Amino acid sequence: MFEAIAFYLFAFLTISMFYITVTTSQALYALTALAAGMIFISAFFFILGADFLGAVQIVVYSGAVMALYAFGMMFFDTTREVKEKQGNKAIIFGLGTISAVLIVLIFAAPLVSGNAEALFPMTPGAGNTQEVGMVLFTKYLVPFEVAAVMLLVAMISGIVLAGKKMDLSLTLMNEDEIREMRREENKKVLS
Amino acid sequence: MNNEQFNDRNVSNDYFLVDIEDYPTDGWGKFKRVIKRSFRGELFVGLWVVLREMIRFDIHTVKYPEEKMPIGPRYRAVHEMKRLWESDTERCIGCGLCEKICISNCIRIDTKIDENSRKEVSEYSINLGRCIFCGYCAEVCPELAITHGGEYENASDQREHFVMYEDMLTPLDKMKAATQLEFEGFGAITPHEDERVKKTPLAY
Amino acid sequence: METAYLIETVIKIVVILLIFSALAGIGTYFERKVLAFMQRRLGPMNVGPFGLLQVAADGIKLFTKEDIVPSGVVARIFKIAPVITAATAFMAAAAIPFLPSFTLFGYEVHPIVADINIGILYILGIMGVGLYGPLLGGMASANKFALISAARGAAVFISYEVVTGLSILAPIMMVGSLSLIDFNEYQISNGWIVFAQPVAFILFWIAAFAETGRTPFHLIANDHEIIDGFGTEYSGMRWGLFAIGEYANMFFISFVISLLFLGGYGDGSLLGALALLGKVAFFFFFFLWTRAAWPDVRPDQLMWLCWKVLMPIAVINIVITGIVMM
Repeated sequence: MFEAIAFYLFAFLTISMFYITVTTSQALYALTALAAGMIFISAFFFILGADFLGAVQIVVYSGAVMALYAFGMMFFDTTREVKEKQGNKAIIFGLGTISAVLIVLIFAAPLVSGNAEALFPMTPGAGNTQEVGMVLFTKYLVPFEVAAVMLLVAMISGIVLAGKKMDLSLTLMNEDEIREMRREENKKVLS
Repeated sequence: MNNEQFNDRNVSNDYFLVDIEDYPTDGWGKFKRVIKRSFRGELFVGLWVVLREMIRFDIHTVKYPEEKMPIGPRYRAVHEMKRLWESDTERCIGCGLCEKICISNCIRIDTKIDENSRKEVSEYSINLGRCIFCGYCAEVCPELAITHGGEYENASDQREHFVMYEDMLTPLDKMKAATQLEFEGFGAITPHEDERVKKTPLAY
Repeated sequence: METAYLIETVIKIVVILLIFSALAGIGTYFERKVLAFMQRRLGPMNVGPFGLLQVAADGIKLFTKEDIVPSGVVARIFKIAPVITAATAFMAAAAIPFLPSFTLFGYEVHPIVADINIGILYILGIMGVGLYGPLLGGMASANKFALISAARGAAVFISYEVVTGLSILAPIMMVGSLSLIDFNEYQISNGWIVFAQPVAFILFWIAAFAETGRTPFHLIANDHEIIDGFGTEYSGMRWGLFAIGEYANMFFISFVISLLFLGGYGDGSLLGALALLGKVAFFFFFFLWTRAAWPDVRPDQLMWLCWKVLMPIAVINIVITGIVMM
C-alpha cells in the first residue's frame, strides 16, 4: 500500500514539475522545477529497489541542472520574465502532441503485447551496484567504452575551445601592450 | 594604575623589513613555489598559534560595564568646572573666552553683576550634541576653571544633551573632603614648569 | 511488523531532527566560544552562565524577527531556497549510522533511519543538492552580491563534487561496498582506512570544507567581500534555516569522515560509540579551528586547487590503488 501511495504521489509531483518547466516563462521557475522533477524521478528508482540508479540520478541530474543554472545566470536576468517569441501555435501544439503520443506508443507497445522480459535476471547474492556493473562490463561493454571515449573527446575539445589566450593576462601587461593588442585584434576584424 | 604607561611612546627596535621574493612567472617556478608552500607546513604554524592561545587562556577582554579601562589624564570627555582650593568658590570669572573660542558654538554663557558688584555667571551650558571635544575651552581658560574630565558615558536619548553649570561644578562635599582632582591635561601647566621658565631679558 | 517498523522510523526521524537542529544552535555557541578563546576574547558571557543561553536568545530573536521578502525578488523561489538547504541537510542524515545498534527495553535499536546499500553515494548526492539553497537564494534575490555568491556556489558545486567522488572511490574499491555500515565492519578487521588511504582522506577532508563552505573555502558567503552572499536579502527565520543547514551539514560530514576513514564506532561497544562521538567532536572542532587560523582563498585559487591539484592527485590515487589491489 505504501508503495502505491508513494508511486502516485511522486508521479503527480514529477508530472506537475515538468508541466511547470514547460509552461512557465520565468527562467528561474523553469530551472527549479526541472531540477525538482529530476530529483523526484529518483524516487521511482528507490521504490523499485534500484538504489544505485536512484542515487546516480540525483547526483548526475543535480549537477547537470546546476550547469543549466550557470547558463541561465549568464544569459538572462533571472528575476524577470522571458518574453518568448512564439510562431504558429497550432504547429507547435500539433507536433508536440504527435511526438508525445509516438514516444508513449514506442515504450508502451512491448508492455501491452507482453513481450517485455528481463534479459539479465537478477544474480542471487549480488547487490544493486554489482548488478549494474556486471551488465555494464559484459553485455554493454562496447557502448560503455564508446561513450567514455566520446566524453573524453568532448572534454578535450572543451579545454581547447576555452583555453584560447589563457597565457595572456591583462593584469600583468602594461597599458601600451594592451593598446597594441587591441589594435592587432581590430586589424583582424577589419581586413 | 599610574599614568606612565600612557606616556611610553617608544616602540621596540625589533621591527625589520620583510624580504619578499619576486613572484615566479614561468611554470616550473610556480610549481616549485606550490611544492614549497604546500610542504613547509605554514598552515600548521597558524593552527598551532591559535591553539596555543586557546590553551594559554590569556583573555584580554574587558567586561565593559563591570570593568573599565583606566583613561589618561589628557582624555577629553565631558567638561568639569573646578573650584578654588582656598575658598571653595568658583574659579570661573565669567570672561567668556570659552564661548568665543568654541569652534562648534556649543558653549553659552551669561553673566550679571551680583549684589557685591562682582561679575557672576548666571547661566552656563554646553550642548554636548554639538561639542566635538576639541579642548580649546580648557586650553583658553585663564583660570583653569573649565577642564575636561574623564566621564565618557554620556549616552542620551536626545541630541541636545545639555550640561548645565551646576552639573559640571565640583560638589561642595567633594571640596570638603579635598578630593577635587587637579587637571593635568589639556591646557594645564605641565609639571615642573617653574624649572623650565626663562626670564624675559629686560635689556631690550 | 510493518506498522512497528513505520513507528520506529518515524521516532528515529523525529529524534534526529530534534537533536541535530538543537546541535546546530549549540554549534553556533561553540563556534563563537572557540573563536573567541583563540582570539583572546571571552565570547558570549551575559545570557545565562557562561553565555550558555545565548542560543535561546538568538533563537527567540530569529523567530520573532520580521520576515521580509523584498520587492523585485522571485518570491516563491526566494521563500523555498532556505528550506532546501535545511531539508537536504537532514535528508542526508537518513543514511548515516550515528551510533552502533543498542538494546533499549529489550528492543534492538539501529540508530540509522534507512540502511540502504548505497549510503555514501546517497549522502554525497543529497549534500550536493543542498547547494541548491544558496544558488536559488542568490539568484532569486535580485541583488548583485547574492548573484555573485550564487555563481560561486555553482562553480564550487560542479568542481568539488568531482574531488569528493574521486577521492572516496579508492576506499570504496578497497571495501567493495557503498554502505557506511560495511565500511565500519571492514575497518574492524582490516584497520582504519586512513592508514591505507591517507591521500584519499586528506582530499576528502579538503573537499568537505568546500562542500560545507567553511573558512578556507568560505567564498560563497564571504562576509568581507560580498556581505553575506546569498543571505544578504534574508531576514529572520529564513536566514536561520540557512544557518541550521550549514551547521547540521558540518556535523553530518564530520560523521561521514569518521565513519569512512577513522574506523567509525568500531566493534559497537560503548567505548566505540564514545570514540565515534569523540572523532566527530574533533572534526567539528577542526572546522572552527581553521576558521580562526587560516585565511580565505580567492575563487580562482579554489578552482585552480580543485582542477589542477586535487583532481589529478585523486585520479593518480585511484590508479595506484587499482594496481596495488590487482
